Amino acid sequence: MAMYLIWLRVALVLYGVSSLTVIPDVLTGHDRWRKFVHPVCVSAFYFHLVALVEMMRLAHHWVPASLHEVETSFALLLTLTFLAIYWRYRAISFGLFVLPVIFLLLLLPAAQPDHAPVSSQWMHNGWILLHIALLLVAYTLLLFSLLSSLLYLIQERRLKNKQIGGIFSHLPPLDTIDHIAFVTLVIGLPCMTLGLLAGALIAQESVGAAYFLDPKVLLSIGMWVLYVWMLYVRRHTGLRGKRAVYLSSLVFLMALTVWVANQFSTVHRFPAP
Amino acid sequence: MNFVLIGVNHKSAPLQVRERLAIPAARLQEATLSLLSVPCVREGMILSTCNRVEFLTYQEPAQADLLEFIQNYFAIGKEALHPYMYEYRASEVVRHVFRVASSLDSLVVGEPQILGQVKESYSLARSIGGINNNLDPLMQRAFTVARKVRNQTSIGISSVSIASVAVDLARKIFGSLQGKTVLLMGAGKMGELAARSMMQHGASTIYICNRTYERAVELAGKFPGVRSESGSATGQSAIVQPISYDLLHQYAATADIIVSSTGSENPIFNRKHAEQYMQRRKQRPMFFIDIAVPRDVDPEINSVEGVFVYNIDDLQAVAVSNMSSRTKEAMNAEVIIRTEVERYTQRMQSLNGVPSIVALQQTLEDVRQSEMRRMAPRFAQMSSEQLQAVEQMTRALVHKLQHAPIQAIKRAAQEGDRETLAVIQNVFDLEHHEKPIEATGKAESMVGQNEKETAFAPTPDATATKSADSAAAKPVTVKEDCLP
Repeated sequence: MAMYLIWLRVALVLYGVSSLTVIPDVLTGHDRWRKFVHPVCVSAFYFHLVALVEMMRLAHHWVPASLHEVETSFALLLTLTFLAIYWRYRAISFGLFVLPVIFLLLLLPAAQPDHAPVSSQWMHNGWILLHIALLLVAYTLLLFSLLSSLLYLIQERRLKNKQIGGIFSHLPPLDTIDHIAFVTLVIGLPCMTLGLLAGALIAQESVGAAYFLDPKVLLSIGMWVLYVWMLYVRRHTGLRGKRAVYLSSLVFLMALTVWVANQFSTVHRFPAP
Repeated sequence: MNFVLIGVNHKSAPLQVRERLAIPAARLQEATLSLLSVPCVREGMILSTCNRVEFLTYQEPAQADLLEFIQNYFAIGKEALHPYMYEYRASEVVRHVFRVASSLDSLVVGEPQILGQVKESYSLARSIGGINNNLDPLMQRAFTVARKVRNQTSIGISSVSIASVAVDLARKIFGSLQGKTVLLMGAGKMGELAARSMMQHGASTIYICNRTYERAVELAGKFPGVRSESGSATGQSAIVQPISYDLLHQYAATADIIVSSTGSENPIFNRKHAEQYMQRRKQRPMFFIDIAVPRDVDPEINSVEGVFVYNIDDLQAVAVSNMSSRTKEAMNAEVIIRTEVERYTQRMQSLNGVPSIVALQQTLEDVRQSEMRRMAPRFAQMSSEQLQAVEQMTRALVHKLQHAPIQAIKRAAQEGDRETLAVIQNVFDLEHHEKPIEATGKAESMVGQNEKETAFAPTPDATATKSADSAAAKPVTVKEDCLP
């Protein structure tokens, strides 16, 4: 059994533990849980990182292209962003949603090795690495923006209904949640733009102008336009609350569709020889 | 003790009812005078705060229909009022007044404002003759008990003030108050405290608005570092700027937090205003803190997205949820109140025996003087020193003879033993000598003074006798318009 599987399973267990312990932390706001969640999560991140490096080293490439590699990389980015937000804003509440997602994402890669390894001439191309890495970061930030909007909605409802104590009593302040939602979107925009540009350059070089007719490419362009529009609306009208959740959900749904569109894409395949 | 108290408070009535009964400070005098004009109401005062509206009266000789007075005064139907009113009588009134003054009946137990509010109502009623010999001792005792509760328990130390709750809630919305703009509407004390607290927590601009611009300027002067009308800061980190009432809505749109505590009878901020503000501020959240009763902020505003409205009940409910640690202190305070009520009630009851004591003393003194006059020819040969010695001896003899019956009268009065009192009165033939004492007020004051010296010890007989002597000095005054 490959060593990375052991590290990944250790990370999986730790994520499982932190997913469970974050629940009383967020719902009751007791500090003793937080003292537990944070170090467990950091340890999980460490094993996760080691496992990913080992996984990629065994695959002889640094581009996460297979399903397991993408899931593991995406999960790592989610953990990193979660920890960054925690360190910056002391907002542990995101863990309630993100940690179970990370756990689920790692279930499959930790269960068994990838039986359909990707092998392609592009695997050692720096543009591909840039394309995938930037888009994964953009998706991660988009997910956090969506979560922020959801938390904003919860906190807004609580404050409007004068529910100050009880569960969710330790959610971050509204302004902080709104700030996180906006900052993640703003940082995500250049990542998505550059990631798509890098993809466009690669497609132009390999397929030619016909790549524009590919459903994935068309959806990607649509997603980018929607993303920019959402950012514009938030910036200029101060969109918050319910409508912000709807808009973020729409963009995130679009991103998921783009990802699913891989199955129908002719230019976005990395088949094994 | 013909005390009667009727009213509503935060426990018995919702804010919607309380605000209909609230009496603004400007109308309190007129309302108190109206109360005093009710037949049989000898003394009275009104306490109107954001949490309660109470009518405290001393009635004699019959009971007045206070509920009817309230219905007429506020033009409210009985059905709308009756379910929310409470009524206390006699020693229940004493207990309630002590608890209110000690802040044990407040929603935020231990909050310090209530004592000041009670004192203000008391002073006003006293200045127009509403407080006399009956209510005065009660209120004085209530103030003493309130001080005692505050000194002997820690009830006020961990007081969760409305101002601190307002700041906490503002933090839940804005995170930090650094750089935030606060608009203070009205000159209410609690509003001022809330705005001041927000300033201490980093609010950078405080606008102060009042219907009377001069009042806004005056209030701004109480904040550290008052600014010019242009709002430019002069050496202080925060800008404090009085604004004209005409510009209220223009400035309100720029304020993150609006603290309103006016005496207005109609809402100052409505839903339309809030929608306009939100449009102008690009949906940035706004926090309305409505401390006024009646409310200044239409509760409908809370349904506007991004706007949060907390009225006095909401703030206090939050405060209450934060103060479980105060329960023990409140229990200790309740013990003090119970003891004080018993003590006060006993003193009141013992004062019921004062006319008998006075009559007994008078009877025995009459006998002594009569005997001295009868023996005067025989004393003619005696020197002045000898005469003085006889005088002293007879006085001492009378004092010693009256000691046991006085004790018996006091005991009987305290225990409410009317039969024993009647027997003593018959034995000494006191009924013809008893004089009514003016509503026990003077005598009670004297006993109150004595208690300062003997707060936790039995009152010496001589002191009681002296009190009784003093008490007998004034006649009863009865209103002509009150029939039993």
